[in-house]
Amino acid sequence: MLQTVATPGSLPETHALLSKLDGARLIAGGTAVMPTLNAGTDEFSSLVSLRAAGLSGIVVKDGVVTIGAATTMTELADEPALAFLQSALETIASPTIRNMATIGGNLFVKQPYGDLSACLIALGATATVSDGTATRIEPVEKLVASRLGPKDIVTQLAFSIPSPGSFKFVKAGRKALNAAAIVTVAAVVSVSDGVVSQCRIGLGGVAECAVRARSVEEALTGNPLDRTHAEQAAAKADRDIEPFDDSHASAWYRARVTPVHIRRALVGE
Amino acid sequence: MKHSVVALTVNGAERQVLVAPGTTLLDALRESQGLTGTRRGCDQGACGACTVLVDGKTMMSCLLPVETIDGATIDTIEGLTPMEGLHPIQEAFLEGFATQCGFCTSGMIMATAGLLARNPDPSREDAVRAISGNICRCTGYEAIIDAVLDAAARMRAAKRDKAA
Repeated sequence: MLQTVATPGSLPETHALLSKLDGARLIAGGTAVMPTLNAGTDEFSSLVSLRAAGLSGIVVKDGVVTIGAATTMTELADEPALAFLQSALETIASPTIRNMATIGGNLFVKQPYGDLSACLIALGATATVSDGTATRIEPVEKLVASRLGPKDIVTQLAFSIPSPGSFKFVKAGRKALNAAAIVTVAAVVSVSDGVVSQCRIGLGGVAECAVRARSVEEALTGNPLDRTHAEQAAAKADRDIEPFDDSHASAWYRARVTPVHIRRALVGE
Repeated sequence: MKHSVVALTVNGAERQVLVAPGTTLLDALRESQGLTGTRRGCDQGACGACTVLVDGKTMMSCLLPVETIDGATIDTIEGLTPMEGLHPIQEAFLEGFATQCGFCTSGMIMATAGLLARNPDPSREDAVRAISGNICRCTGYEAIIDAVLDAAARMRAAKRDKAA
């Protein structure tokens, strides 16, 4: 049973509470933690909320956007510099949940949720992690695949705003809105002299955590961005994914449709 | 286990609420404030029956530990309802037969209130998106979407009349 709920007013206070309280769980928007609490979990005995710790806000400077970890999805959608993310954000849960759910919390949501992590991987985003004494910066693709230490707190995320039209996103779910991912594809693709000069592709819903589709990226780089080459590159995705069965789709189905949705994200057909 | 006192402005009135650790806003409203118009559906944030406005934004009250929102302003279906008659959103739902069993209705109406506060002239697509977190298990969605748009028209008309 829950013994304490604390809402510290700063990051140092938050770290002090994590040291003091045994079995504490961090909570931000609450959309992932509270369902487990309401279901009667005994995995944790205290909650430490990040709501008042000063970790919200978006700063855009010299083409780089820095986002406090407790910034909500709605706040992201309202930021004009992040207009390119709008259609991706609208596929995540519902407006009501987006008023609560945070960008930092989304990194720790179990698949097949956490589509924003796939976007952050495609954007080459980094996360700042503080353990109370030291601060380190980790690529999001590494962070989502690792376990954080007991005092680690993701404080902010940062990425360069992609050039217009280079961010691509497709999500396949069982419904058009408010659906878990069967597969989510996010990509940032740069084309110069008629060929793909650089690309990063993030996938959600097709492995234990959001992953980077490196095999597809390698196959695509140096080739024209057309249907034939996108299809050939997307076919390599089986090397990057470890799909699973759940109530939304079977592992077989996820593996079958992943290349199709990668192609659609890349060339729109 | 230490109880704490949380200050909330509920439907315009300042309240001090005594809560056990982890008490959700939903429980505080229903059990301590007697505001049972806010429904408990899934307790998982998946059904939207418990939707209220927190500082003007729609949120699932079952997902908010009340100790983390000290000082917040909460609006529920009871606060939306005027002293006499009904709010235009309620009128639109009633007259448009947008209720069947009625269990989802207060959540649907609060989701509508949240939408119309941000966007007084929503498209049908906007209305669909706004209630996409709210489940109607009688599946009366078409009438609800019509009612959201009708409510928006009623509120715009009332605003025009007031300005004239």
